[in-house]
Amino acid sequence: MTPTAFGVLLVVVSTMVEGFGQTFLKKSALDVTRRRRWILLGVAVLIVEVVLYSGALRFLAVSTAFPITSLSFVVVTLLSRWLLGEQVAPLRWAGVGLILLGTSLIVAQA
Amino acid sequence: MTNEARVPIRLVIGLAVAIALDTALQLVWKTGIAAIPDTSSTWETLVAIALNPIFILVVVFMAAQLVNWLKVLDHADLSYAKPFTSLSYVTVCILSVLLLGEHIAPLQIVGIVVVVAGVWCVSQTGRATLRAEPE
Repeated sequence: MTPTAFGVLLVVVSTMVEGFGQTFLKKSALDVTRRRRWILLGVAVLIVEVVLYSGALRFLAVSTAFPITSLSFVVVTLLSRWLLGEQVAPLRWAGVGLILLGTSLIVAQA
Repeated sequence: MTNEARVPIRLVIGLAVAIALDTALQLVWKTGIAAIPDTSSTWETLVAIALNPIFILVVVFMAAQLVNWLKVLDHADLSYAKPFTSLSYVTVCILSVLLLGEHIAPLQIVGIVVVVAGVWCVSQTGRATLRAEPE
């Protein structure tokens, strides 16, 4: 695996980790008897995300890594549906698709 | 089905605060912490960041961000709230032009319009999935 491919892999993994961190934070609102536990778990996972992303920047330029992080909007939506049982209307999916495209266009030029 | 279509004002304020804090964090990061010289070792870089007064500001913003975000998630689906945070890409881009004198590319303007359209789509969907019983 080339260093660039490894960097891209790290960023993609970090967006997935972000999705789980956000899911745990939302869990704290649903499962109030264990609220503190979910918050701590969520924060711990989000710290892992920062470490992974920082690690990726040793292999990639920010201008390459940053656009990939837009994927987190898709990951969060998928996990909200699968793990939290949220209903994602087609219009919401359309919105997420536009956001993925739009944020990529904004940061790809930065 | 989703419950009441009307979005409570505290949710609107919470989302606005989340975007504002995210924007502030990114701009502080861009202007302050990014100015720290690159060193060969990760450890030296971490020490340099921790000793930077701006680091305290970043930590305070992050803590405020977490508290506010948890409040937002009390009132909305994660898949509803999270897309709104993409507006910080728009605000950072615009403020970078206004405050930091950066140039904006035509494709970035297209991107801004596309993001705003995407957020509008999400805002037209129900903010919270109706749950049969509290988990």
